[in-house]
Amino acid sequence: MPPKPHRVLLDRVSGYADEAAAYMRRRRAFRRPFARLYYGGGRGEDHAADAEVGGELFVAAGRLIELAGQKPKS
Amino acid sequence: MIQEARASGTSAIFTHVPDETSARVPGDSAESALAFLAEMSPDLRGAAILDGDGAVLAASGEPERWRDDAAALFAAADRAEAESVERVHVGTEQGEVFALRHAGLAAVAVTERFALASLTFFDMRMLLRDLAGRPGAP
Repeated sequence: MPPKPHRVLLDRVSGYADEAAAYMRRRRAFRRPFARLYYGGGRGEDHAADAEVGGELFVAAGRLIELAGQKPKS
Repeated sequence: MIQEARASGTSAIFTHVPDETSARVPGDSAESALAFLAEMSPDLRGAAILDGDGAVLAASGEPERWRDDAAALFAAADRAEAESVERVHVGTEQGEVFALRHAGLAAVAVTERFALASLTFFDMRMLLRDLAGRPGAP
């Protein structure tokens, strides 16, 4: 007997949700610090932390993060 | 280099705002826009809105430090290429920094790690677009 149509739909949706959750887990585990600049037209450039511009961006960003502080717990 | 940028003042940095001339926005409009951004973005830790000359229109915290640190960030970003940068996104272990120039204004936001970049930039862009379109802005 073929599965009921709503079962197929539910299985598919939970399959997508599992995939998304796994993607987010991998993203959290493997994401490294980055500095990205975007220009007109959507062009983007990555800058490594050990390069001159990248280093300056990380220093400036660090100051802003320090200034903003931690989000107060609600 | 960042200290040099600070010493040389901030006005030159924000004259690179790529589109339109500097917008004049009332400070109370900017304050409400910032409050709205904080409400819309659960990951937001702090933010500032600046005019085209680099002056702080609204900020969560110390306006002078936001002005100086935002100027340093844009200065470092603009040194990368001859073209003025439109968006800056830096992700670190401690948090993420987003900076955007739009409609003659600039916004800088600090968020928790893993904030969704496209949504954060979208919210910031909408905020600046609304502010630039309000009465008082050219």
